[in-house]
Amino acid sequence: MSLKVDLLEGSRIALRSLANHRLRTVLTTVGVGIGVATLLAILGITQGMDTSFQAQLASLGSNSVYVSKHPWVQMGNWWEFRGRKRLTLEHLEAVRLQCTYCGAVVPVLDENDDVEFMGRSLSFVSITGSTSEYLEVSGFEITRGRFLTEADNESRRLVAVIGTDVADTFFPDIDPVGNTIRVGGKPMTVIGVLSRKGKILDQSQDLTVIIPFNTFKSFFKGNQSIDIGIQIKNADEMERAEDQLVGILRRARQTPPDKPDDFAINKPEQLASTYEQLTGALYGVALGIGFITLLVGGIGIMNIMLVSVRERTREIGIRRALGAKKRTIITQFVLEATLVSAVGGAMGTLVGLGGAKVVSLVTPLAATVRPMTIVFGIGFAALVGLVFGIWPAARAANLDPVEALRDE
Amino acid sequence: MLIELKDIHREYNVGGELVRALDGVSIGIERGEWVAIIGQSGSGKSTLMNVIGCLDTPTRGEYLLNGKDVARMSDDELAFIRNKEIGFIFQNFQLLPRETSLANVELPLVYRGVSAKDRRAKAIEAMQKVKLEHRMTHKPTELSGGQRQRVAIARALAGDPSLLLADEPTGNLDSNTGEEIVRLFAELHKAGHTIVLVTHEPKLAARCPRAIRLSDGKVVGDGPGAQIAFQDHQAPVSQAAEAHGS
Repeated sequence: MSLKVDLLEGSRIALRSLANHRLRTVLTTVGVGIGVATLLAILGITQGMDTSFQAQLASLGSNSVYVSKHPWVQMGNWWEFRGRKRLTLEHLEAVRLQCTYCGAVVPVLDENDDVEFMGRSLSFVSITGSTSEYLEVSGFEITRGRFLTEADNESRRLVAVIGTDVADTFFPDIDPVGNTIRVGGKPMTVIGVLSRKGKILDQSQDLTVIIPFNTFKSFFKGNQSIDIGIQIKNADEMERAEDQLVGILRRARQTPPDKPDDFAINKPEQLASTYEQLTGALYGVALGIGFITLLVGGIGIMNIMLVSVRERTREIGIRRALGAKKRTIITQFVLEATLVSAVGGAMGTLVGLGGAKVVSLVTPLAATVRPMTIVFGIGFAALVGLVFGIWPAARAANLDPVEALRDE
Repeated sequence: MLIELKDIHREYNVGGELVRALDGVSIGIERGEWVAIIGQSGSGKSTLMNVIGCLDTPTRGEYLLNGKDVARMSDDELAFIRNKEIGFIFQNFQLLPRETSLANVELPLVYRGVSAKDRRAKAIEAMQKVKLEHRMTHKPTELSGGQRQRVAIARALAGDPSLLLADEPTGNLDSNTGEEIVRLFAELHKAGHTIVLVTHEPKLAARCPRAIRLSDGKVVGDGPGAQIAFQDHQAPVSQAAEAHGS
């Protein structure tokens, strides 16, 4: 008898057996279902996070570094960074003069404040003070009007270049250029609009206003440590550029040779690796839980299959007497286990996708589900059934037909 | 010769004790014969039935079924032989309770790989032979004992085997129904089927043209049914055979 017959007849018997034990089937599938749901929800959420994060990272510009007093990512050891000297324009000047790998070098100051126009107001807008070359460092472009000039900076002009979020809110229908908005309460004339960059870690980069560095200093915290935004000319020379920057800055800041660097060179990639560390751990734990749930589900299936084999001993005897080979019996029971598990997998897939969807709706985490994930969910559940079904099936096939027929 | 058993031994190890269920059995059965194997509980007749039915293999000895040596066959080969050569009829019918009678009758053909259409046709034909064509969609639980046994006989006939092997076919039936089944066997015998019938009832064995009496795992009588069936054989039942049961 062919494998095709084994599979056909096996599926028919398996389906009938499942239909005859609906409650049992449903209960058995719950374990596997929960496992698959957990795995899929996690996969969906992390895939969504990865996708949006990759796009966000690209928007930061991979050719830029930002020298700051503190690293962007501080993992628990914040006390190391206390009492560091401020970064000043002198340090910036040293970089500008000595760094051979650097293109544009600009001072950057940041503040979050309200922006108002005609009675409407936006809170927590990122106000950046910088200079004319900031475009090269930040990766923004100008879509309307013009960017800041040296003259704007030197004369501390009250001018602002606005991000698309600000432009869309205040000037949905009219040209923003030439209008006066209030930035942190100070009137500033809009001279240009930036290109759209999108979100990074769910923070819009377009909810921003850029004003001349000196204007910023006179209106906001003028004494704070600046960041130095640096465009590296050639991305391949990033490491050499960093080494050179460290040397330049240690000399300029007179850092004693026996002390570690008292500044940080921040790169967008750092965010990436931090992100990977964070999500990697989360991912690992969640996957572990998912696999353990699947294991428990698999053992549940094995248990119910052993019961099923016990209950149907006589049926197995009859089938063997009438010409079913061991292989046929194994196929029948493995198919049954696989089918139960796949049903659980399908239910779990629905629940998991729903869960991911809910997460993406109620939290800022984006969840995307690739079609492959669904195939993976059901396929993986089926595999669990297959693996945990083999032993009960082998037990069924190895029953002595004479003994099996005698079973009451 | 359809069945040729030569010096068949079947020994079991029960709790460290060797039990000789069959102790040198040699039998020949021709095609078209109707033979009863009779013996008391523990005589070894059930073991003999299992060996003839290829459900069990002898410890020693030679068994030719339809010219093929089946004594040393593998498990899968035996499954194939059972399917092709043997139609089983059991005392307690051994039908699948959740399947219809027709599906039960089709089962041997399923394992032979016969197409759905052909096996349906053959199963219906077999149901007609046992006069149950009006009960094809009933499940065994909806049938009387006699009807169930007729379904079992139809199942045995469906595969068109060389041998019908019946184990106490009337054991679970009242005398009237039992009589119907015996008559059905007689008809099948007339139609040319080879029937081996295992029983402990002398009355049933007496109806068979030939009977073989077994005692203590040995053949102690072989001749016309009427003669062998009531042969007052009072050989003591050995402890060993009793230990194994029937």
